[in-house]
Amino acid sequence: MVKLLHTLQTVDRRVLYALLLLSVTLPFMPTFSNIKVPVKISPSTQKLYDTIESIPEDSFIIFGTDWSAGTRGENGAQTEALMRHVMKKKLRFAVLCFDPQAATLTQTMAEKLQKQYGYSEGENWCNWGYRVQEQLFFKALANNIVSTVKADTRGRAIETLPVMRGVTSAKDVKLLVNINPTNSYTYYIQYLQGPYHIPLVFAPTAVMAPEAFNYLDSGQIAGMLNGLTGAIEYEQILNVVGRATKDSNCLSAAHLLIIFLMIMGNIAMLLEKRAAKANAAMHLGGQV
Amino acid sequence: MSLSSYLDAHVLHIVPWVGAICTLGLYSVLYKENKIFRFFEHLFLGLATGYMIATTWNDVLLPKWWTPFHDEGKWWLAFALAAGALYYLIYSKKYNWMARMIIGLFLGASAGQQFQIFVNDVWPQIYKSFKPLVPHAAIAAASGHPAIKAVTTSDAINNIIFMVILLCVMSYFFFSFEQKNSFLKGTAKSGRWLMMFTFGAIFGSTIMARLALLIDRMDFLLNDFGSDAFGDNGPKIVLVGLLALTGLVLYLGLKKGGDDPGADVV
Repeated sequence: MVKLLHTLQTVDRRVLYALLLLSVTLPFMPTFSNIKVPVKISPSTQKLYDTIESIPEDSFIIFGTDWSAGTRGENGAQTEALMRHVMKKKLRFAVLCFDPQAATLTQTMAEKLQKQYGYSEGENWCNWGYRVQEQLFFKALANNIVSTVKADTRGRAIETLPVMRGVTSAKDVKLLVNINPTNSYTYYIQYLQGPYHIPLVFAPTAVMAPEAFNYLDSGQIAGMLNGLTGAIEYEQILNVVGRATKDSNCLSAAHLLIIFLMIMGNIAMLLEKRAAKANAAMHLGGQV
Repeated sequence: MSLSSYLDAHVLHIVPWVGAICTLGLYSVLYKENKIFRFFEHLFLGLATGYMIATTWNDVLLPKWWTPFHDEGKWWLAFALAAGALYYLIYSKKYNWMARMIIGLFLGASAGQQFQIFVNDVWPQIYKSFKPLVPHAAIAAASGHPAIKAVTTSDAINNIIFMVILLCVMSYFFFSFEQKNSFLKGTAKSGRWLMMFTFGAIFGSTIMARLALLIDRMDFLLNDFGSDAFGDNGPKIVLVGLLALTGLVLYLGLKKGGDDPGADVV
């Protein structure tokens, strides 16, 4: 028994990795992918949905994506879910990136989804591309969008694009969307949301989400998607099956495995301690 | 067929293969630190840096600086180059004082903006911390204003919990005087524990975030790469291959025995 408890406490970490691999790959197989794990919509996700729903059709919004390939697992799924809603709601949007990889990754995603929702680049959406220095850029953008952005990623002057009709300054922007694995979303709050009272919705990675709850509570962020779970919830509200929904069973299986291992490890530790104490008492009794 | 025309014709099939090899190469670190992992790590770092330099030139410097300066005759933009170049004088022992001019300029501009930033960033959080602690429905009804909402009993309880946590955590940060008072000691200690809960939540979220990244890679290997390389049965073939590879590595590793070779690395 003691040996078994000791073994449970000292499992080779590579065995745990193998179990984790099994738990995240098996749910992709057709047999397991039909299992539907119920998802409860969190208030922050619902708030985000309600905020986008409250924006009138054909309004212009800024769709900020500041993620790179490193966080595609979470931010990619969030971008897809939010873009689906924006397109479903027939909102005009401009993609704005402060990460060099984000402009290309978001462009690819928008091109893939636009056919499904009858969107076309230049007409319903455009890509402002990669920009630097958030502080100075937002300062200038708030006053004059055309002279600050000048051209989209295809080199077309933005004032000639139908998507930009009637948009000259921050006052014409009805919503800010930011999908971001860092805390640079605060620039949106400091330079656009605060001074111009434009609602901001935010999709961080799960690591960054706890810090953002302050802003959510104060109303500076109107709604939030918490990592991959948030994206799964959002697809559930939209009633679409995207990449997040496909990943949901894998995430649940991996969480179950980790919880199981934690419980087993703790039980083993407690029993081992108790056995050691009993041994020590017996040893002491023998001596007496 | 030349190499470039071959690559052009088969690029859509080559990319998933390269992606799969790179993914497996990087995950090889889970067994132990090795040269294959180091190679792919440096490859990715180099790619990301190169991509950033190219994008910065194409999306920022070319349209914003070079084209207006070179093609549109805006000669005064040459001063931007001179000002930007001042940053690099930090590496010169003799002229590093000149770098301080440009750094000072931007520090000053940034400090000036802090007033606006503070008001927009922190102030809403401060005044939203003053929450009603007593349930009331009559005030909201009497005011008739849509912004004034009725406070239910559960709202009031939530708000009281919020205030207790806020005050406890803030009391922990009273460093201006020694905390001798037993009440203050108690609240400060509670504040520390409450912060620990937050850090625990952040740590839990970190695990979820890392799992999401692993799932994304497995999704790529099984579905994107598998379907492209082996057709409809691709995901199953890749899964069997992946599990066989893992099983083999695990068997050889455990058979070899001894210390866990990468325990101190990962």
